[in-house]
Amino acid sequence: MKQEDKLKIQAWMDGELAPKEAAQIATLIEQSPEALALSEELRVIENALHLGEKQANLDESRDFYWSQVERQIDAEEPLAKPYAVPSIASGTLLRWLVPVGSLGAIVVLMMNFGTMNPKPLLSAPGITPEAPAATPSGFTESAGGLEEAGIEPDGMGVINFQGSQGSRHLTDPEDPNTLPESIENPDR
Amino acid sequence: MAKKLDIPNAEDEALVRSAQKGAMPPYEELVHRHRDKIYARAFSMLRNEDEALDLSQEAWVKGWQRLKQFKHNASFTTWMTRICINLCLDFLRKRKRKQTDSLDQMEEETGGVERRMPVEEFNPTENVEREELRVQIDEGLAKLSYEHRTVLILHEFERLEYKEIAKAMHCSIGTVMSRLFYARRKLATLLIALKKERRE
Repeated sequence: MKQEDKLKIQAWMDGELAPKEAAQIATLIEQSPEALALSEELRVIENALHLGEKQANLDESRDFYWSQVERQIDAEEPLAKPYAVPSIASGTLLRWLVPVGSLGAIVVLMMNFGTMNPKPLLSAPGITPEAPAATPSGFTESAGGLEEAGIEPDGMGVINFQGSQGSRHLTDPEDPNTLPESIENPDR
Repeated sequence: MAKKLDIPNAEDEALVRSAQKGAMPPYEELVHRHRDKIYARAFSMLRNEDEALDLSQEAWVKGWQRLKQFKHNASFTTWMTRICINLCLDFLRKRKRKQTDSLDQMEEETGGVERRMPVEEFNPTENVEREELRVQIDEGLAKLSYEHRTVLILHEFERLEYKEIAKAMHCSIGTVMSRLFYARRKLATLLIALKKERRE
């Protein structure tokens, strides 16, 4: 007997065949002892399975089980309110404040660096400093230390800061990417 | 003034409608009522108590998050069971390791083994007590690969059609038919072996 016929016998027993094919398979089972034996074997297993499953028992107490579910619900609850105004204490705001504040402090320090540094001692009357020699790294050596060649103090420019967090904190909780892929339509 | 819901005595549908408005106590009652069924389904698929416990709880969390999408077309337990099954399938897919891709399994996938399996001559369930048979079937199911066990569970216990199983398992209807055929025949073989073992 062909494998295709065996699968059709099974499909016939499961009520998955179209009427025309079902009639053909019924005839095959009547005429072929092998087909009949297979259908009987499948029927025995089907009947055995219909007795039902052995029930697995949940050992957790009712309250403990619920408390664990509730804790997980609470833990994931903020995801359901993505557009809520963040409070001062919220982690989102702190995540932005720390790097922006640090960066601001560095910028202020760098801009005030020139005014804090007095003129070099070598520029006393009678002493002419030699022209600073350029180093391979692009820095020139001067009495005050290393200065970057060709960059004026005003050239600090505007620092274009973009947070690394992007918009992740605004993730929609209904975004399928945040849930198992096949759960989108559980009520088939 | 709206009548207060008598939670312990309310029907599932009333509890669900109340929970859909955001009330947690009715949902807690639903969890209490159906947690065993959901856990049992997770366990039958995963065959591991801890994993079944975790995934059944995760199913209840997802159920709460998606409760507003429940349209009352099916019963609440059917809907919850589907969520649980989907979570189990995702979990099993991710867990599937290389060692399961043995030659035997590859043949199972392609239908090589069932072609060689002879039709069994005698009834493996004859003269077996009902409860003992359940235990034997459970042992047999545990020995199947997760694909074959899942197909059998979805078809025999959840009463899903071939096309619904194919959709849930991300495979073709032909694969479902082949897996189901193998799973049934393999189960028959296992039951006969168990019967012989107990006779001896």
